[in-house]
Amino acid sequence: MDVVDLGLTAYEDALSTQLELLNRRIKGNIPDTLIVTEHLPVVTLGRTAENSAIDRAYFENENIPVVMTNRGGNNTFHSPGQVILYPIMDLRGIKKDVSFYIDFLEETVANSLRVLNVAAKRNSPRRGVWVGEKKIAFFGVAFKRWVTFHGVSVNVNNDIGPFSRMAPCGEADIKVTSVKKITGHMMNMTEIKEIFTRQFIKDLEAVSCRCDCRSFPKMTTKLC
Amino acid sequence: MQVRLPEFSENDNEVMLTMWHVPESSRVTEGEDLLEIATDKATFDISAPCSGVLVKIIKKEGEKAAAGDLVAEIQEDDWNGRIK
Repeated sequence: MDVVDLGLTAYEDALSTQLELLNRRIKGNIPDTLIVTEHLPVVTLGRTAENSAIDRAYFENENIPVVMTNRGGNNTFHSPGQVILYPIMDLRGIKKDVSFYIDFLEETVANSLRVLNVAAKRNSPRRGVWVGEKKIAFFGVAFKRWVTFHGVSVNVNNDIGPFSRMAPCGEADIKVTSVKKITGHMMNMTEIKEIFTRQFIKDLEAVSCRCDCRSFPKMTTKLC
Repeated sequence: MQVRLPEFSENDNEVMLTMWHVPESSRVTEGEDLLEIATDKATFDISAPCSGVLVKIIKKEGEKAAAGDLVAEIQEDDWNGRIK
């Protein structure tokens, strides 16, 4: 798997890169590729977003753009200090199952956070990765011919205040946290990206094995 | 040809049809994006299974459907590229 760190990007620029790599991956011209980035402040609205669930006046006053996009999921907020993973992966060689893929993303993000001594867990059937009752990672993905794009954002050093101006993921009662809030100190984003990337590749190797596994949790305990 | 929703997930029984990329009565080419569906966290583009004319959209945008459901009909081209 190739890994591309785009650094700090505007949302639309990173989306253009995703779409270019997506088309090349569909044609088989590149291997699976993990895009890693941080975004300039932006609110994104997925396909199931409710416009009323964000404080548009606040984001307008703060000059934070609100962008509609073609990923799944509802609304979320991005800003520097949040690590973002956009896997461009062909699932045909692994398992053609949408929920399986999201389970995998949640599991690898939770594993990465636990490397940082953050007690992260999945909270099925609710989506996302959680620390206690607070959400720390947000998911919204898309597929074209079983190649994935869009992905996950994880709060690390970013200001989580703007999340209070929306109902993140469309859930009004949701509380949000970050690695900095939990550990009490800023993290080195270069090291953070390396941890998430390394864990992603390790977990992907586990699910890419030729076991006849039926779900991700089984695969983590049944390595080939 | 009947266009049915493919198997996309073991755990998501129903999806919402979010966007027809091609309007009814338009020509489609095999493999081009035909329809977008969405679960709570994912969108999924379904491509046209054959070339021809999208003669009937059975499930509209905003409606829900499950894998195997009939969502549209395409009148196929013959091998000369003409409508059968």
